Amino acid sequence: MSIDNNIWNLAEAYVSGALPGNELTQLQAKMAADPVYKAEFQESINMLRALKDSGSHKNFRAMLQDVHKETAKSQPQETVVTPTGRTIPLKTHYWRTAAIAAGMALLTSLSTVWAVRNMNGRMNSQYSLLRRDLETYKRSQNQIISNINDQKKPALAPAKYGGTGFALSNDGYLVTNYHVTEGADSVYIQTRDGQYYKASVVGFDQKADIAILAVEDKSFRFGKGEIPYTFASSKKGLGSRVYTLGFPQEDIVYNEGYISAKNGFRGDSIQYRLELPANPGQSGAPVLDKDGSVIGLITGKESESAGTTYAVTSKALLDLVSNIHGHNIRLPKVNKLGKLNREQQVQKLEVYTCSVKVYK
Amino acid sequence: MHTEEQLLTELAAGKRSATELIYRQHYNTITKWIKGNNGSEDDASDIYQEAMVVLYEKAQNEDFRLTCKIGTYLFAISKNLWYKKIEQYQKMPVRLPDSAGQDDRMDWAADGDISAHREREAYYTQLNAALDKLGEPCSSLLKAFYHKDKSMQDIAADFGYTNSENAKTQKYKCLTRLRKLFFGAQAK
Repeated sequence: MSIDNNIWNLAEAYVSGALPGNELTQLQAKMAADPVYKAEFQESINMLRALKDSGSHKNFRAMLQDVHKETAKSQPQETVVTPTGRTIPLKTHYWRTAAIAAGMALLTSLSTVWAVRNMNGRMNSQYSLLRRDLETYKRSQNQIISNINDQKKPALAPAKYGGTGFALSNDGYLVTNYHVTEGADSVYIQTRDGQYYKASVVGFDQKADIAILAVEDKSFRFGKGEIPYTFASSKKGLGSRVYTLGFPQEDIVYNEGYISAKNGFRGDSIQYRLELPANPGQSGAPVLDKDGSVIGLITGKESESAGTTYAVTSKALLDLVSNIHGHNIRLPKVNKLGKLNREQQVQKLEVYTCSVKVYK
Repeated sequence: MHTEEQLLTELAAGKRSATELIYRQHYNTITKWIKGNNGSEDDASDIYQEAMVVLYEKAQNEDFRLTCKIGTYLFAISKNLWYKKIEQYQKMPVRLPDSAGQDDRMDWAADGDISAHREREAYYTQLNAALDKLGEPCSSLLKAFYHKDKSMQDIAADFGYTNSENAKTQKYKCLTRLRKLFFGAQAK
């Protein structure tokens, strides 16, 4: 009998409690002497237990289904009594407010239709960009109030959008999504210490949804030292664990997940498909693997399933960087995150991540 | 007449009679409550069955002592599961109303049991994924033994091994491969 058979024999006997006392003592002695064997043995018994339990689980569920069918049959179908709510009539003096609110809703939906039509094929109903409308809500509320007060026609205020960006080089080059900066009058970044800096777009790739920005202040630096992460030049494999830092709100937010498909939306090969929760405002957020190498940036998510997110590959980003002339973008060459734990990685990364504010 | 303790022991062993008894006893109260809280017929039975599985898992533990009646426990778990589900639908936190339970403390005590249950389910899903990845004949062989409770003799006959000893050797080989696949995937 080979060693393998032996370990399974022992493990099976151990799990079922049929191992005689003297063999148990022998086994314990062997495990104490040989840690590798001990680990292997423990994995084996864990697996046997899990296999058995998952089997009985499955059977229990099947039985429940069966029991349910019989129970449901023997029970008369009851009609559900839903408590009827109290109807509150819309008072006539609210009429004007309601009309203006409805008008605003109509305006919003029409402009959404317009925006959707004007975007390329990627922007259909299943795909939503993660740009954050910062002021829309507040503004429409204010407008309703001011409209009630002075009965003027609503005027369109400039919109303000938000995304996330991260450094390409310490001296102020950074990257975010093209759709965040599209049609912008001015772009500002807000760093971790709350300071605003004006930035301008120095290059973009609309198809890949990448925009490269430069902070206008020449003395600007993200952090004390060079950027601690590097950029992966090839695609990472399916199932790789990844994480991201972004600004779906004023505070920076951490999320983690994994690569769930090598190609992105509709098989787009310059994207990854990720299983990673993302929210509006996280557009342009860096996606890193466990060694702290940037594998891409978040661009959009599937609106129909909560956790599916798409990210542009770092390769598309590197291609764009190498095509930009007149700017000397010195990408980092040394990865300083590899040996750190996740908490330390995030702490370092935070310094080089910023929120991007766009005025249109 | 069964005491609740006996019922639970039998439930843990997967006995149908005990399962049926418990299921029927609380079926009406709990499904009616879910339907009264905007749940459909299917929601109600899904949630109730899930709660039964949680109870089943709890009962597996030999040290398990229910500090309340089975019905109270099932109700608390069902309510909690249902609120979690609504929360998922609406994507916003729903507060448990104060008057929801016969025993309000139970609603929150159940939280730990539910997260343990979810973890376990995820673990089994991983294991089953590894099982499917094993390929034939290993995948079917292990499923026949562990999921369908077939004896090694039956398996030997079904899979064309000359005797149960050979089938057993094959099973051990499959287990070794599964162990590598499963723990290898987990480590990543």
